[in-house]
Amino acid sequence: MPHAAIRFIARSFFLCVLIAHGAEPAQIDWNKARQHWSFVPPATQALPEVTDAAWPRERVDHFILSRLESKGLTPSREADARVLIRRVTFDLTGLPPKPEEVSAFLADTKPDAYARLVDGLLSRRAFGERMASVWMNLARYAEDQAHQVGDDSSLNYPNAWRYRDWIVSAFNADLPYDAFIRRQLAVDLIEPQNKAELPALGFLGLGHKLYSRSRLDVQAEEWAEKVDTVSQTFLGLTVACARCHDHKFDPITTRDYYAMAGVFASVQMVNLRPDGKAEDNKTKAAKMDPGTLHIVRDESPRDLPIYERGDMESPQGTAPRGWLQVLSKGEAVTFHTGSGRAELARLIADKANPLTARVMVNRVWDMLFGKPLARTTSNFGATGDKPSHPELLDDLAVRFMQDGWSVKRLARELVMSATYRQSSSGSVANSQLDEANENFWRMDRKRMGIEQFRDAVLSVSGMLSHEGGASQIVDAAGHHKRTLYSAVSRRELNKTLMLFDYPDANVHAARRSTSTTPTQKLFVMNSPFMIEQSRKLAQRLQQSAHDDARRVRHAYELLFAREPQGEELAIAQEFLSQPTADSGMNAWEQLAQALLATNEMLYVD
Amino acid sequence: MSRREALHRLSAGFGAIGLAGVLGAAPRQQTVPKAKRVIFLFMNGAPSHIDTFDPKPALAKYEGQQPSGKLYKAPKTSGFMSSPLKFQRCGQSGIEVSESLPRLGGLIDDCCVIRSMHTDVPNHEPALLMMNTGNIQPIRPSLGSWVLYGLGSENENLPGFVVLRPTPNIVVGPALWSSSFLPAEFQATGVITSDMEIGKLVANVRNTVLAPVQQRRQIDLIQNLNRLHAARRDHDSALEAQIKSMETAYRMQSAASDAFDISREPAKTRELYGDTPFGRSCLLARRLAESGVRFISVYYTSDNNQPWDTHANHYQRHPELCADSDRASAALISDLKQRGLLDDTLVVWTGEFGRTPYAQENKDKNKATDPMKRGRDHHHTAFSTLLAGGGVKGGLAYGSSDELGMNAQENPVHVHDLHATILHLLGLDHEKLTYRYAGRDFRLTDVFGNVVRDIIA
Repeated sequence: MPHAAIRFIARSFFLCVLIAHGAEPAQIDWNKARQHWSFVPPATQALPEVTDAAWPRERVDHFILSRLESKGLTPSREADARVLIRRVTFDLTGLPPKPEEVSAFLADTKPDAYARLVDGLLSRRAFGERMASVWMNLARYAEDQAHQVGDDSSLNYPNAWRYRDWIVSAFNADLPYDAFIRRQLAVDLIEPQNKAELPALGFLGLGHKLYSRSRLDVQAEEWAEKVDTVSQTFLGLTVACARCHDHKFDPITTRDYYAMAGVFASVQMVNLRPDGKAEDNKTKAAKMDPGTLHIVRDESPRDLPIYERGDMESPQGTAPRGWLQVLSKGEAVTFHTGSGRAELARLIADKANPLTARVMVNRVWDMLFGKPLARTTSNFGATGDKPSHPELLDDLAVRFMQDGWSVKRLARELVMSATYRQSSSGSVANSQLDEANENFWRMDRKRMGIEQFRDAVLSVSGMLSHEGGASQIVDAAGHHKRTLYSAVSRRELNKTLMLFDYPDANVHAARRSTSTTPTQKLFVMNSPFMIEQSRKLAQRLQQSAHDDARRVRHAYELLFAREPQGEELAIAQEFLSQPTADSGMNAWEQLAQALLATNEMLYVD
Repeated sequence: MSRREALHRLSAGFGAIGLAGVLGAAPRQQTVPKAKRVIFLFMNGAPSHIDTFDPKPALAKYEGQQPSGKLYKAPKTSGFMSSPLKFQRCGQSGIEVSESLPRLGGLIDDCCVIRSMHTDVPNHEPALLMMNTGNIQPIRPSLGSWVLYGLGSENENLPGFVVLRPTPNIVVGPALWSSSFLPAEFQATGVITSDMEIGKLVANVRNTVLAPVQQRRQIDLIQNLNRLHAARRDHDSALEAQIKSMETAYRMQSAASDAFDISREPAKTRELYGDTPFGRSCLLARRLAESGVRFISVYYTSDNNQPWDTHANHYQRHPELCADSDRASAALISDLKQRGLLDDTLVVWTGEFGRTPYAQENKDKNKATDPMKRGRDHHHTAFSTLLAGGGVKGGLAYGSSDELGMNAQENPVHVHDLHATILHLLGLDHEKLTYRYAGRDFRLTDVFGNVVRDIIA
């Protein structure tokens, strides 16, 4: 084989540790392999014993409290009502509570006041939008490709937003998570009559279309990308690791890899027009019908050879399309219907699959508590971290499946828990024992992502549009939809999204990273967006009352769901009393911007 | 607080403190670094090696003969075409450099020419990606992001990785400076240098409505409120980091305005670099290097995206491009040297590949071949890269191509080897600079790359 070909192949997708070390793959003892914690089916757990029997509100709390007691930690007090309503409203809807909602909650003395608040939040459209903003990064949602030749936009996805809208609706309808998976992978095969659900296939249909995609080696990259995104998102496994060699760490063979890649090799990415015909693959984005969906469909099924070391020039034997052996009973299940996509979808979403429910439960926990139970949210394999509370994760996973895979029910239980309701300030004694709060003895203070922060700014300035649908440019003047509805580019990610840690849409992103940079502050201080919203907020505040003290109070209620303290009020009034002649912003506008720029605006206690 | 949390919580300049800060005193350097920063000058479209740094007198002997041997594709050519440019022995080292690069030739004793570069594919997109990210598909972190990840930023008031280009359009696009799966703090700050006005160069660096004194007063208010907020909570380093970040941002407005403002340079210096888009970008690169930016890329683009892609009229266009690039690149190297910065600043001058030693025909309306309209096509099996400073031996011509400039012959250097060497000069071991993503450890050089030790001083 020519040197360049060797380079190309080995380079092709992954750094295969085995090649570097020249080690031979070990024979896998499947019985032993299936003993890894995440391959053992989750089992309902007995409720752990606790001393403080009055504290738990939900099953979750027994697991948390039992651990706390065993470590000599005590739970923190319940957060006060204002903190709680702000927290739960941001966590479930991505938006701040309105002042009238806060006062209604404070005035509600019935014992189920919080429960009714939670149910109300879960029924809002904003809940689906909040969930979707998490899902978009798992699905590496984007509307174009990293690479474009000249002005050829034929590989772009101008109607990608139809997939996004589908995700929002699915979460809002509380579509059971198993059906949610099946529809995204194979609704065309499983429910062929159900054309309204076709946008779900965007999960696969918005994948990579790489440069020179007619070439076999480039197609192999595209299969690998799908294997990678599907296996990390739903299974928490890095199956694509096994492309060149048996997985170094997990019981996943190259045969497993090519068995799954074969499914995607039997699938075609297609721009499906509303008339049911496929768009010509040279049609530029602007010429595509607005009803065109970027999805997938089966083509002639084929089994792939096993390309040892990823070498496309020397295929070795055949890997029948099929399921991972470690998740099969005995020999690997093979697929026989079309591409095998429907079979794959069913097995991923099967109750017998030990991973799927655990992975999703962990993600929802992460969203609400600000950190997951198992830290590597898309890697439940040997190189991933073990869960901090394995019994709790299992208990949640089992009941998630038993209760019809309801994400809303899961989220409800978590936010109803005493664990969730704890204050984010805790005792020094606890802190000395567990500074990082690995045991959940308090709530973590959460930093907002770009979606929550920008939406909150627009919400309090009164400018937020609640429209969904086609994408806006997140930082363009007059574009005031929720941040979720922003164009996401693989070619050049919008600078404002990038500035606030929106991940690169070329790859599945397991979680957001959170950076704190001065450039973020420059945005808050100087960007036209922030200056404009500050002016709008100032207008709103000035119209809200006749004197500055009341206006400041209203500002605090609007932004922080609380009243200002005496000192804060005094500082604000003092600021307002200074002359601001010769300035491009009046005193109220400057104050409004200052409040939007505070840490309290960016953090949820 | 875990290490990961520490990484994300620390207030960290435009880019980040990188591993340097996370791991304590020592950055992720395994060897003693010779270079602290890199300026990467990229000639988009690919310069012709045989017209710049790799003289091939034998071409005259084979003039008009058809190339033979293994070729990537069958060429439409009137055969080998020798360079009409004269090559001069330059400096004490006597390395031959084309007359189209007289100033770089004059600095050759400070430079190392690698004449045996090669890459995988003679197409712009994959070759650009290979040179910039070590992978031919647009899905991997760039060299600059890897360097920032390994070393962190030198100046927390400025971005750690800055990409300068005169035009927004560039072949492949921002995937060339992608941070991909590396954390977002290692991303590049892209700067379009067509308008050198500060507000246009750096987003949000200036407040357009408040005077500095007014803004200071507003920030004092914010910080007062932030301190009250923090005081009511247990000590939370994240909140402290935000407060610090706000102060840094305030200072950055002047620091960045200073670093990015080439109008502060004396007219003589600006004249030295040349008042062209590339010249101004090189001058800006020097200011940024001086201010502690870790990695600066300058792309030589123009309205046609890749000006060096001379498929036609080669001997009219190539010398013009060389003249502009020569002036700016040489000014940069000598300016760095004069300021004592060349010792620890590595300057790289390269394209994505070279150009064919044989002609590319362009027939006119009458289907006759006009020799003046001849071009040179893409050529990936031999090309030249120039290095200066940063611990590289000066006055060295390393490796060679064959008699006709067709293939790298002696001491071939693949792009992976160049990357390994650049990392090595920065004190980074390319085999150990890894990032765990999706269950695997990734490297810039994948499973390849050998440090070219012979060029290290």
